[in-house]
Amino acid sequence: MLTLGEYIRLYFLIEAQYIKGQMQYRADFLISSVGMFFSSLATLSIFVVLFNSIPDLAGWSLMEMVFIYAFYMIAISPMQILFDAVWFLRYKIQSGEFVKYYFRPMNIMFYFMSERFDLKGLTQLAAGIALLAYSSIRLGLVWPVGKVLILILAVFSASLVLISIAVMAGSSAFWVVNSYPVLALAWKVREFAPYPITIFDGIFRFAFTFILPIGFIAFYPAQFFLRPAEISPLFYLAPLIGIGLFALTYKVWDLGVNSWTGTGS
Amino acid sequence: MRGYFAFLRGAMLVGVVYRLGFLFTILGNIVYMIIAYFLWRSIYAGKEILNGLTFDQALLYIALGSTIFILLKTYTDWGMAEEIRSGTISVYLTKPIDYQLYNLFSTIGFASTSILTVTLPTIFMLFFVFRIPFVLGAGYLFFPVSLLLAFIINFNMDYAIGLSAFYTESIWGISTTKEIIVSVLSGALLPLQFFPAAVQQVLMVLPFQAMFFTPLMMVTKPDQNAGVFLQMLAVQALWAAVTYVASRLLYNQAIKVLRVAGG
Amino acid sequence: MTLIHIQGLSKHFKILNRHEGLKGAVRDLFSGDYRTVQAVDGISLDIEPGEIVGYIGPNGAGKSTTIKMMTGILKPSAGVLQVNGLVPYDNRIRQAMIMGVVFGQRTQLWWDLPVIESFKILKEIYKVDQKMFDEHLGMFHELVGLKALYSQQARTLSLGQRMLCDITASFLHNPQVVFLDEPTIGLDVSIKAKIRSLILELNRTRNTTIILTTHDLGDVEALCRRIIIIDKGKILYDGDIKKVNALFGAYRTLKLQIKDYSEATLAALQDRLTGTFGAGHGITIAQTEDCWTDVTIDQARTPLADVLAFIMTNFTVEDVRIVEISMENVVRKIYDGALK
Repeated sequence: MLTLGEYIRLYFLIEAQYIKGQMQYRADFLISSVGMFFSSLATLSIFVVLFNSIPDLAGWSLMEMVFIYAFYMIAISPMQILFDAVWFLRYKIQSGEFVKYYFRPMNIMFYFMSERFDLKGLTQLAAGIALLAYSSIRLGLVWPVGKVLILILAVFSASLVLISIAVMAGSSAFWVVNSYPVLALAWKVREFAPYPITIFDGIFRFAFTFILPIGFIAFYPAQFFLRPAEISPLFYLAPLIGIGLFALTYKVWDLGVNSWTGTGS
Repeated sequence: MRGYFAFLRGAMLVGVVYRLGFLFTILGNIVYMIIAYFLWRSIYAGKEILNGLTFDQALLYIALGSTIFILLKTYTDWGMAEEIRSGTISVYLTKPIDYQLYNLFSTIGFASTSILTVTLPTIFMLFFVFRIPFVLGAGYLFFPVSLLLAFIINFNMDYAIGLSAFYTESIWGISTTKEIIVSVLSGALLPLQFFPAAVQQVLMVLPFQAMFFTPLMMVTKPDQNAGVFLQMLAVQALWAAVTYVASRLLYNQAIKVLRVAGG
Repeated sequence: MTLIHIQGLSKHFKILNRHEGLKGAVRDLFSGDYRTVQAVDGISLDIEPGEIVGYIGPNGAGKSTTIKMMTGILKPSAGVLQVNGLVPYDNRIRQAMIMGVVFGQRTQLWWDLPVIESFKILKEIYKVDQKMFDEHLGMFHELVGLKALYSQQARTLSLGQRMLCDITASFLHNPQVVFLDEPTIGLDVSIKAKIRSLILELNRTRNTTIILTTHDLGDVEALCRRIIIIDKGKILYDGDIKKVNALFGAYRTLKLQIKDYSEATLAALQDRLTGTFGAGHGITIAQTEDCWTDVTIDQARTPLADVLAFIMTNFTVEDVRIVEISMENVVRKIYDGALK
């Protein structure tokens, strides 16, 4: 059985080869990166246009919204880059090809996810970092080392939430075959992560904090850096929520892997 | 023509067969509407009117816009790209059917299931759950035609993007870029009234507004005079024709690649 | 020691009853109308190390379900199943270390990578040491001359080349048992022969147990000493291949296209064949969907040439083909008592 160190080594080995293979489609990589870049800009341009008509959104200024959005872009990158295979699960299940992942002596999620490494996600990561830097300069934020460490931990927690939501939605393919509507739903809801959770009332604020925790993707973490005075104690729960949610997701995935019977006879 | 309707029915069947997925599409749209409701409520922040739209009109616009988005997202380009990549496209070329029409009818079949499961329930929710006041007007009569024209324009664009698979390995980049450009410039995410005046003027001469803004305005402000609506339809029809001719020309170009390179 | 021990193994599935047409599809959305299918129904068998076993049967007989249980993918509904003393479903990763699996229709190589890179990744996964790895590759090269393919990406290989590489990959870690599912499907005769000799050689030199599922009776004849025939989830036959060989060796099917064919023609053919060759003629007639008439002849009882000559003189035959007996027909023969 493989140890954690061996898994990591194996991952680098597979991805190095994968990237080499992808380099044949260089034009494709360039176009995809442009597409990724545009798609990051879309929400941003909507913010800019919207703030022409309103002074603030639930008390948050344009530049603060940009900061939240930049945090969101960074947090979503690990999912985009490392877990992109989740979108292809339903095809593998439909065709029965998924069966091959059981035959190797390794963790099935690892094997499956290692088959894709989404280079274009790096564009998004870079754009996110640039935007975060730009907005924090404009907002006059200072970054002592301690705060940077907290930022990294916050990004990590938020990433886990995003990864969990996507993998859980993708795992529905084990039961419903066409998981696309479920994934599309998760994807759509996730689009609202960069908006202040304070726009919601009562039960909906509760739901988006605890049931479908999109508040932890960007808003609660960003609040810590933007307005530490208003910080909700929930922020400190973020790593726990990230790890807990991922553990739950892994359980769901495992349940799917064990209950899937394969198509055909 | 009868043959093409068989494709339409076939695609509808495929749409209904995955049962749980179906319920999720409906659920997804409900969640989206709830979020959109709160988001726009805080955008209005108690104001009666923003850029000539009331809160009710804006919500109607945005929620219905999201259902049109689902309606137009038919994955024609992806399906074509797959057929081109795998070479199965040559099967269609040997049959006495027109590939573009074949795709159009399959796409309409696919989309008609979303009219039943997404568009109609959304309209129902808007008027009965969110209690948006119903304004009687001619716009509702023109809306279905406008929607069909929007659908055709979008189809022609998707078709052209699908053809790009003759030239690249994956169409993800082109398809995503198109979707982003459309969603921002067509008014799908934000009514065009919110854009600065100069930008609005540019957007009105581009084809994208004919895909979302035009049909949505017919429902948002249905009580205008019929002449206004007819003019809107004329512009849409013009864009439908232009995109159709453009995609045909592109097809004739692309198909040469197939003939040269082999299937 | 027994490598695979199976006792009273069963697997059943719940399947949604789908209804026809658009209306039916809508109805299925909310339907709870399930039926139970017994894919594998109380089978028992033991496989010893070093055996090559042909596991055959018609489509939907329960072959893949059995294989999926043996490889630890599916949990049996009932019965005992042990591979190397362990329960596969509870020890998937450990079992995978000692198993190799090859599917004829789909590759397990990394699609976009050069073949050798896939091998190197497998070397890491199975922790094969460099010396053994080099030795294995050297041996495969001697057997089939693969080296030229190593720098190519899996997706650029022909089906036959890919199959050879897939088989190589499945033996890299020197597994105790290899499952081969339709390894020669869609391949031409020369590459089939190459694959068969590779499999035999690997079995001989390493004593690897091989479980072969196939529709190609040629594969079975060339490779297996033991054959297990399964149908409708039950084992029909488990034993020496020689006995079964007589079945599909002796039988041939004449496929005929008879001019102006009608229902009456079939009856007439039946009558006149019985009239000419006597009651125990061992000839069965069936009509296939595409207007071919299948006349299956037991050559041990009636010479094929005689039947053909008789039909050609008495009927107007537009086209004729002679084919080996199909898997479905072998199974039918067994039901009819051919092995008793």
